[in-house]
Amino acid sequence: MKNIYKEDDGKYAGMIEDLKNLPKVETPENFEYNLMTRIQNKNFGDSKIKDPAFNWIKFLTPSAVVVTAVILLFIFIPSNQQTDNQFSKFDNKIVNNSIADNKNDASGDIINQGKPPISNGAKSLAETSKSSANTDNSVKNVNPRIPFGYSRSVSLDDYITGSNHQNNLQRGNVVNSGNSETPFDGFFLVEKPDPNLLMKERARIDSVKNAKAKADSLKKVQK
Amino acid sequence: MNKTLTELKDEELIKEFQDNNTIQAYEILVKRYKDPLMNFVYRFVGDRDACTDIVQETMIKFFLNKDSYRSFAKFSTWIYTIAGNLAKNELKRRRRRTIFSISGNDDDKTPQIEDKMFHSPEKIADGTIRNEIIERALLKVKPVYREVVILRDIQDLSYEEIAEITGLATGTVKSRINRGRAQLQKLLKHIYKD
Repeated sequence: MKNIYKEDDGKYAGMIEDLKNLPKVETPENFEYNLMTRIQNKNFGDSKIKDPAFNWIKFLTPSAVVVTAVILLFIFIPSNQQTDNQFSKFDNKIVNNSIADNKNDASGDIINQGKPPISNGAKSLAETSKSSANTDNSVKNVNPRIPFGYSRSVSLDDYITGSNHQNNLQRGNVVNSGNSETPFDGFFLVEKPDPNLLMKERARIDSVKNAKAKADSLKKVQK
Repeated sequence: MNKTLTELKDEELIKEFQDNNTIQAYEILVKRYKDPLMNFVYRFVGDRDACTDIVQETMIKFFLNKDSYRSFAKFSTWIYTIAGNLAKNELKRRRRRTIFSISGNDDDKTPQIEDKMFHSPEKIADGTIRNEIIERALLKVKPVYREVVILRDIQDLSYEEIAEITGLATGTVKSRINRGRAQLQKLLKHIYKD
């Protein structure tokens, strides 16, 4: 491989020779003395290495940035898990309330038959606070499958015996009886009967009754 | 002990200075390198007083930062790097001073008339004047080329050493030396006609 730089050395040989022969410049005689004096006196001028002073701002800035970032993350980024938990807590609370209500209602039938029932509002408030205080107990003791609350339910046993004092009895209230669990059967539509159909049914029943009366009278005659 | 120290190589001396803080080792290194550095910086900057200050600064930096030298590098390249950086800083400072100078201090400028002065063949034949012309022409070469030309053709360092000092690839060093030489020869065309 051709070395172009070697060739260039030859091309500039005269000039390179002159450059090499330029007079050598030497330091002044007192150079070393001055240098050692400066070193002994520690007169380093600009060459002195400056120890960086401890700066609180520089020291705290990175940690402050990290802390701020974490705080902002907590504030501005909504946590799905957190909201889910909140909702689940809310749901649990409602379910537990209704369960507790139902349990009290059911157990009240058996244990506290003689006692007058507590009014709806007071009872529900008391039960809400009770259930929120003892959520775990209510969850353990009560079957969570019962889907209705005290305020919307009527104990059939109480109703029959006359000890039910609920004043908000409505057609849509859920009826509960005894200790058995009541499965939820769904919703039913109320249909008005057709008057023509009723007339036909009545006529048919009347004709059957008439036929039966005639048959009885014929039997009596034969006897 | 001193006799032994003078026989040591540069790298051994700086190790002695680093390990035992032997000031004699430092003085020997200063003795060895003060003149080569002075010559290099003078050819680069072109001002004797400034050059003395730069070499002094180089030696002070060497004294203060002795531990930053690593044994895998040659001592000569390390100290040339320090001196070269200081010389470049000085040139930058001068350029800035020239740009921002409102009055335009004429002392800092090289007189243009003198540069274009006609030199008779007799004068050129005179070695002293010839050297003076070459020195002035060298100071007109671009600093990036001038530095490598000085290190190669005046200080007689190898391409590898120059590459280490300047932090450039060897190929870049070679091409820069070539360009610097070409620039210099162009400036000195009345001397080197062929």
